[in-house]
Amino acid sequence: MEQKGFTLWFTGLSGAGKTTLARLVEGELKSRGHRVEVLDGDVIRTNLSKGLGFSKEDRDTNIRRIGFVCDLLTRNGVVAIAAAISPYRSVREEVRKEIGSFVEVYVECPIAVLSDRDVKGLYKKALAGEIKNFTGVDDPYEPPLSAEVTVHTDSETPEQSAARIVSRLELMGLVAASETAGYSEEDEEEVRRRLEALGYV
Amino acid sequence: MGLFDKFKSRGPLPKEPSPDEGAPKAAKRRAVLLGLDGTPFTLVRRFIGDGTMPNFRRLSERGSLLQMDTAIPDISSVAWTSFMTGANPGRHGIYGFLDLQPNSYKIYFPNSRHIRSETLWDAVGRSGRRSIVINVPSTYPAKPLNGVLVSGFVAVDLNKATYPPELVARLREMDYRIDVDARKVQESHDALMEEILTTLDRRVKTLLEQYDTGQWDLFVGVITETDRLQHFFMDAIEDPGHKYHSAFRDFYGRVDNFLGAIAERLRGETLMIMSDHGFTGIKQQVYLNRWLVDNGYLRLKENARSVEDIGEGSLAFAMDPGRIYLNHKGRYPNGTVGQADARPLLEEIKRGLSEITSEGVPIVKRIYDRDELFDGPCVSFAPDLCVQPVYGYDLKGAVNKRELMDREIFTGMHTQDDATLYISADAGSLRSGKPHITDIAPSLLDAMGLPVPQSMDGRSMLGRD
Repeated sequence: MEQKGFTLWFTGLSGAGKTTLARLVEGELKSRGHRVEVLDGDVIRTNLSKGLGFSKEDRDTNIRRIGFVCDLLTRNGVVAIAAAISPYRSVREEVRKEIGSFVEVYVECPIAVLSDRDVKGLYKKALAGEIKNFTGVDDPYEPPLSAEVTVHTDSETPEQSAARIVSRLELMGLVAASETAGYSEEDEEEVRRRLEALGYV
Repeated sequence: MGLFDKFKSRGPLPKEPSPDEGAPKAAKRRAVLLGLDGTPFTLVRRFIGDGTMPNFRRLSERGSLLQMDTAIPDISSVAWTSFMTGANPGRHGIYGFLDLQPNSYKIYFPNSRHIRSETLWDAVGRSGRRSIVINVPSTYPAKPLNGVLVSGFVAVDLNKATYPPELVARLREMDYRIDVDARKVQESHDALMEEILTTLDRRVKTLLEQYDTGQWDLFVGVITETDRLQHFFMDAIEDPGHKYHSAFRDFYGRVDNFLGAIAERLRGETLMIMSDHGFTGIKQQVYLNRWLVDNGYLRLKENARSVEDIGEGSLAFAMDPGRIYLNHKGRYPNGTVGQADARPLLEEIKRGLSEITSEGVPIVKRIYDRDELFDGPCVSFAPDLCVQPVYGYDLKGAVNKRELMDREIFTGMHTQDDATLYISADAGSLRSGKPHITDIAPSLLDAMGLPVPQSMDGRSMLGRD
């Protein structure tokens, strides 16, 4: 199957699992022969978007920059995986429209669970007022209305979520099914025998 | 709405709605779907009437028992895929247990990864709800979902048939069997009957355990032993003196016990019971490739074993059951039929097939053109014709037969218009019209208060006209 480029965009609150899932899916797609690049929001803010803050305007600029790079990669046959909170719906839609071949994954997790987990210690600081403009605490998050995939990271393992995402990409014809997932040659012989036994072959 | 009016192109694959979008803010409703592979509606009615299935009788008094049309071709891999996707084969891409690889005469066996349309449990999962799906044919290898899935026929490796993999150990502890080993009939019919009963017993135990201990909003459990019974013992039910007549009825008594066990567990869930096709007795097996050879449409290489051994200059070939393909130029490596010649050739073949008789009576009930049945992105590799036989004449794709018709060990064949659908009264009133197998998934989603994806061709049975 011809390897097409597309953008896989993970959006969700801080700590929901965007980076974890991005890396799991990256690994699976690479094993199937795709060229893949991950643009992680935390990393991007140390280089491409260094100096940008967390005002709405700066967040929008950050997302547009990530989107710009994703577009370049997509056009050149690479799978661009973006993992960024990207809290504002209109800018996500703007990026979607610009790129075209765009798959949105909403990484959903209730904020109570996230602030309990507090994997980066940020929720505690935000709730104490030490960090301002923290999404979900004192800045808004606008969930997608029509994401291609929604994963619920409070009730699924990362592996389960990643598998569902890849399965969806297969269904959309963006990724070929894994060769090891179907019938092996040995399996085929057994399948043929069972079908013969019922008169189907 | 006619059968074929259902198959309208609905556009590209839908995006996932967020959990808040689309679905009414109804209480979280659960649904149960039990499958009885190959169980005819007319047989269910008979067994309700003669006391063989008292639990089904009680259920039918509290709901609607309907005769249903299934997919064409009326074979389990197509039918169950049409059920689980709510779509016609032109959309889901499965036309039989075998198909040909693109631009080739090489046979392959379609499996779950070849299904091009999303399933009922994909749609349930997108709304954050869980499904338990046990033994639905054509779900191998097991694809990840929000819940549990154990594949049905044709599944050869329990490890690849089970999601999540952690369940395999428990299935092995319960000695779960994916399928009846139909090859037991080579030992004896007694051995096969024993095999069918044992497999049923273990199936029911696993289904009930998953029902009781699993977390689910949708429970789907299928019994395939019914189909195996009817392939080999269909003659037993008509003749009260037949050696296996009582065993056949006892078997359905056990199935009825299972239905009763589920019925007593219901706590307001919508219950549906379905079959994927009906069954009738076989008078003759009819070999369409033999007819094509005898009438000059097909040439075969010497000692041909399958359509892979198609000879040069062939115009058409057949595959099980009743699928006719023209040897199109551009579609097959040694294609002979140009676009302009296709329609006249198809009409000629249709006329010829319609003239096949047995005991003075035509054996062909109806022949469908491709576009009467199939619509969607997978139409490009659909059969050109689908032949529906009269009851009793089982159309086969074998190439190595010397006679047009004969009998083999099988005594039962599938029927397209006598499948079963039961819907409990919890679902509310139903619309009129004979249901189609593609209507079941939309009906279940509707009963659960969930949106029906655009990719589904069927229509919910729930609600007044």
